[in-house]
Amino acid sequence: MSPMPQPRGGKMSPPSNLYTAILAVAFGVVLATSAYVAVACQMRYGTIFGMP
Amino acid sequence: MSTLTKVLIVLLTVFSIFLCGIVVTYVSNANNEKETASDLRRSLQSAKAKQDSAETQLEEANKAAEALKAELNAKISDLDTRNKELVAQIDDVKRQNSMLMGENQQQRALATQANELATKQHDLAKAAQAQVVALQAEQSNRRKELDETDQMLLERMAVISELEGKVRRLTEENQDVEARLNQYLQQYGRIAAKAPVTVAPRPTTLQPVSAATVAAPSRMIALNGQVTAVDIKNRLAEISIGAAAGVRQEMKFHIIRGDRWVADMLILEVGPDKAVGIVETVQPGMEPRAGDVVATNL
Repeated sequence: MSPMPQPRGGKMSPPSNLYTAILAVAFGVVLATSAYVAVACQMRYGTIFGMP
Repeated sequence: MSTLTKVLIVLLTVFSIFLCGIVVTYVSNANNEKETASDLRRSLQSAKAKQDSAETQLEEANKAAEALKAELNAKISDLDTRNKELVAQIDDVKRQNSMLMGENQQQRALATQANELATKQHDLAKAAQAQVVALQAEQSNRRKELDETDQMLLERMAVISELEGKVRRLTEENQDVEARLNQYLQQYGRIAAKAPVTVAPRPTTLQPVSAATVAAPSRMIALNGQVTAVDIKNRLAEISIGAAAGVRQEMKFHIIRGDRWVADMLILEVGPDKAVGIVETVQPGMEPRAGDVVATNL
């Protein structure tokens, strides 16, 4: 099954990558935030997951 | 791609960005709890050290306070002892003060009495001076009277001498008359009734009377005293009256014992309140002795 919906009536439209880009942006933001939090925890407490 | 998927993608993206922003903001603004804990630990250690030092200082301070307390107690006991001594001294001083006050009052009373006595003595001295003045005046009057009496006595003695001369002449005339009468009676053969009276010859000359011999008529003055001492060997006697009582030299006194005459004495020396004389005539079998009465008149 294709992820792209099949045009009804036989009218064809080119596939759009806009939402993929939006998801990439969201993924990047989440990744950057996680990295920042990990770095901050490492710098402040010397560990990322455990208690200092 | 359906519309619902698109909407979900957009919402997921938006909320992911929002949540990431919140997390970043929170993490960046959160405190460093490790540093806070280490600071608190250091603070705790320093506080413990301070506590230890404070406890040590407290112990030292307690020891010092105890030592100071003991010293102060010793000082307090010394001060109490000294206070008691001072209180005792104050009591002694008060007692001495009261004694001195009493002595002061006594001395004031004595001074007052002395002043009163001085005033009385002053008054007595004035009175005595007045009496002396009065006695001197009286003495001068008595001297005047005595001089007048002496003068009168001399005149009387002269008159007596004249009268004695007259008496002697009359007696001689009487003897002559009696002799004639006896002759007449013998002529007529009668015996004389009386024996002729012979008159002892008397000096017809009047002797001068001196001031010392004025005492001879002292029979007129009645003086009485006592024999105070007798010297039998030298026949001297002392009497208890003198010039103050009117005794003069060559005055004659009779020594009397009871109602009997013992002897006569002639005054030789006169003192103010005593006189000494020689015993002239003594009753046989009796001798003058101390305590006998002397008098000018019997």
